[in-house]
Amino acid sequence: MKEFALEVKDLNVWIRDKHIIKGVSVQIPRAKILAVMGPSGSGKSTMLRAINRLIELIPDARVEGRVEVYGRDVYAEDPYKIRRIMGTVFQTPNPFPHMSIYENVAIGPKINRLVKSKRELDELVRWALEKAMLWDEVKDRLHDPPHRLSGGQQQRLCLARALALKPKLLLLDEPTGNVDPVNAVKIEEALKGLVKELGLTIVLVTHTPQQAVRISDYIAFLYMGKLVEFGLTDRIALNPSHELTVKFLRGEV
Amino acid sequence: MDARYLKERAFLIITVALAVIAVFPVFHVLFTILVRGGQTLLKAGPSFLLDVPPPPGKGLGGIAPSLAGTLMLAFYSSIAGIPLSFFAAILAVEFPRSLIAKGVRVLSKALLEIPSVVVGMLVYAIMVVPMGQFSILAGAVALAIMMIPYVTTYVEEALESVPFTYREAGFSVGMLRSQVVFKVVVGIAKRGILTGMLIGIAKVLGETAPLLFTLGRDRYSVPTNVFEYGDSISLLIFDYVQTPYANMHEVAWGAALVLTLMFLALFTLVKRYAGEVRL
Repeated sequence: MKEFALEVKDLNVWIRDKHIIKGVSVQIPRAKILAVMGPSGSGKSTMLRAINRLIELIPDARVEGRVEVYGRDVYAEDPYKIRRIMGTVFQTPNPFPHMSIYENVAIGPKINRLVKSKRELDELVRWALEKAMLWDEVKDRLHDPPHRLSGGQQQRLCLARALALKPKLLLLDEPTGNVDPVNAVKIEEALKGLVKELGLTIVLVTHTPQQAVRISDYIAFLYMGKLVEFGLTDRIALNPSHELTVKFLRGEV
Repeated sequence: MDARYLKERAFLIITVALAVIAVFPVFHVLFTILVRGGQTLLKAGPSFLLDVPPPPGKGLGGIAPSLAGTLMLAFYSSIAGIPLSFFAAILAVEFPRSLIAKGVRVLSKALLEIPSVVVGMLVYAIMVVPMGQFSILAGAVALAIMMIPYVTTYVEEALESVPFTYREAGFSVGMLRSQVVFKVVVGIAKRGILTGMLIGIAKVLGETAPLLFTLGRDRYSVPTNVFEYGDSISLLIFDYVQTPYANMHEVAWGAALVLTLMFLALFTLVKRYAGEVRL
């Protein structure tokens, strides 16, 4: 049987009485990028939080359905353990403001005891910053606070923080939404590199169809909590089968 | 000159005038304490901090026992009150729906305005009477009770000011809840928390009423342990101002200056730490 990197089966999410995600199912193989696109309020971010179980921080949220990451049933396991195989980057850059650039990247490995020595940690921090394409810009000021960085750099720092845990699945919630175009391109390049070099699987939430088409292998189009269309990016970009998808790609919804 | 310009000027003048009226008393108090207390301190010299008070009508002596008492009270009420407040605030913020947390919130807000003399009476009834004597310990307990609602409220506010996104980030790197609380939320709110604690100490430094029936007012010997009678600067001022002797009034002014300087030292600390972590 073929094992998917991510398999979401009949996912439903309610927050209080609001039905946010309505029976969504997607599955993607390893080392691919899935773009979850849709207009704002379509449930994209909620879907991401249902995958890494951060949804449980929201009071009165209820999840039904099944999420499997690399064959592991996310909702059957300890949430703290299962989150370690997933890295998350949020919409607004949120490096820990009370820690230095270095500490922001080092905190994950430290908490999870991934390294044995300071040297090993230094190397891991450097590796993560390199993979996030930030190393050259910060290598001389690793002990500065993160607010000295630009928004785009902060976002790449958050990417490095996630990568330092060596996740298998990377979840990104509109990572370029609050970032200038130059930094957006850098982040996209970094993501492609991660898939190619490390075989990472990526779920990227975006509200711009251009970005989805530019970097993804698969597209899931959400509208009002429903999965309108799911399939290979090439197929959906060239030949969308649903009228709503056509409209969204044209920028009409 | 048109009417709008005049209105603008009038508005400015009124604002400045009212602001001056509002802060003038504060400066007046500070100025008076500085001048009159300063005279006492200059006259008495360093022995003001090391000596015992004078007999009525003769000399200045010092306020050593009261000063020591105030420092001991601040110390012991802090080691009891601050950790309790800190964890009460964490509980209230982290488990907002639990019954205990709701209780903590309501009580800490309600106790903020509790008449301090009532706290003194309470401690008199539950500690002084059973123990058979006044003590620094009883005074410290009364002050801790005064301090807890303040520190709890400040710490609560500091913890709540940390944006949700940092909690999410903490969980997303595999932190346990306790790690999110102590490494992320407390870390980011650290300065606010510290400020709250310092304000709590400053608050009890000048309290008088809770000590009236708890401390015992022994101002002629420096206390060596918490089970002894003690005194505080605030009580000394309270008593000496009411005597008919000029020299005791002078001692009271000097004591007021010492207390004010302790305040200012604390608030300098607060100011240094009051800046927020930049988000």
